Amino acid sequence: MDPASAMQGLPQDQQAQLMQAIEQMQVRDSLRMYNSLVERCFRDCVESFRRKDLDSTEEKCVQSCCTKFMKHSARVGIRFGELSSEAETQMQQVMAAQGGGK
Amino acid sequence: MSQQGGQDPAVAIDMAKQEMEYRVALFNAMVTSCYEKCIDKRYKDGELSVGENSCIDRCSSKYWQVTGIVGQMLGAQGGMQ
Repeated sequence: MDPASAMQGLPQDQQAQLMQAIEQMQVRDSLRMYNSLVERCFRDCVESFRRKDLDSTEEKCVQSCCTKFMKHSARVGIRFGELSSEAETQMQQVMAAQGGGK
Repeated sequence: MSQQGGQDPAVAIDMAKQEMEYRVALFNAMVTSCYEKCIDKRYKDGELSVGENSCIDRCSSKYWQVTGIVGQMLGAQGGMQ
């Protein structure tokens, strides 16, 4: 996420306040992500309950599941950033065009 | 979001927080949806295939466009704050 654009134009103390809010959001989001990833990999990888321990297939599956999800999330993050800045640029162009049309 | 001079600082902070929360929620929803649409759940290894990578790129782009359209439609209904 890019907090820089949200912070532009705010004075110093408000920036500090916002940074703190952002940190809290990030902690909350990490915990949420952790839980949802566990749920997802459990759901996708664990099918049988004949034993109480994971077998090696299930273990490898969970490890792959985690790796794949994190790579996926990173890639979406990159595209999200690109799409965001594109949209930001377009908005600025529209606003500049409107502002200049007097 | 445009910056307006002389805006009440408490309002500005609130708006910035809301904007951030919205962006985070949008990002998480995009990750979840595109994972469901694009990723092979057999988990043979931890790598993303070429097909999955392309799918992710296109899915992100389409998801973003859907966000835009829905925003327009809701705006036209005269409802979004």
